[in-house]
Amino acid sequence: MPVLEIGAFLAVLFAVFAFANLWFHLVEGLLAGIRRLLLGRRPPKPWHPLPPDPPEQKTPPQQQKP
Amino acid sequence: MGLFQKLFKGPEIDMEKSNANAKKMRALFDSVVPNGEDYRLIFGYTEDVSRFNYGFVHGSKTKIGNLIVGWNEAEQTIVVVPTVPDLSGCGDPTYYRRSEILKAYRNKYPTDAFVIYPDKKGYIAINAYDWLEDESLYVYVSQDEELAAFTDFFLTRFATK
Repeated sequence: MPVLEIGAFLAVLFAVFAFANLWFHLVEGLLAGIRRLLLGRRPPKPWHPLPPDPPEQKTPPQQQKP
Repeated sequence: MGLFQKLFKGPEIDMEKSNANAKKMRALFDSVVPNGEDYRLIFGYTEDVSRFNYGFVHGSKTKIGNLIVGWNEAEQTIVVVPTVPDLSGCGDPTYYRRSEILKAYRNKYPTDAFVIYPDKKGYIAINAYDWLEDESLYVYVSQDEELAAFTDFFLTRFATK
């Protein structure tokens, strides 16, 4: 019997945890939507990608003497 | 080396990865800052902590912003370039010249951040450590010497009080 009670208690804890997570993401999503509506879409900040590595300098082929 | 010795030694720094990231930091910085080679670099980050209360769910959220921090001793200038942990790109640089800022000091509590007020409207608090293990949040780079040099520069030549 105590095993069942412990299991039920853990199930309740998990349900509270899951519902709290859902609630958090729901409110976050709503707030983000309201912010987008009120503030409008801001232009993205400039972003510079990592420049490619400079090509390795190869030694020029030696000219063969005639 | 024994297993226990290894366990007690703690995490080891992957210097190959650290050196590769240091090179990427340099490449990014030099690509957006004119005469970037005149600056020494460290990695720093900002923390933006906000509290929320959504009824029965409440707590705090922390946003971390990665920064490449360059400093030029001769010009007494600090340049901050926002970036991401994998160093795939960076934003535009912000310049903090000692002659133009309102104040700068090193914080003591809750963190020993380097705080710069460019004007009365805002501030930037730069946190910096020798090495941070979590690659998903921070740039993986070991920077003992550079951090010591930056700390010395900031405290002796840049701080205003």
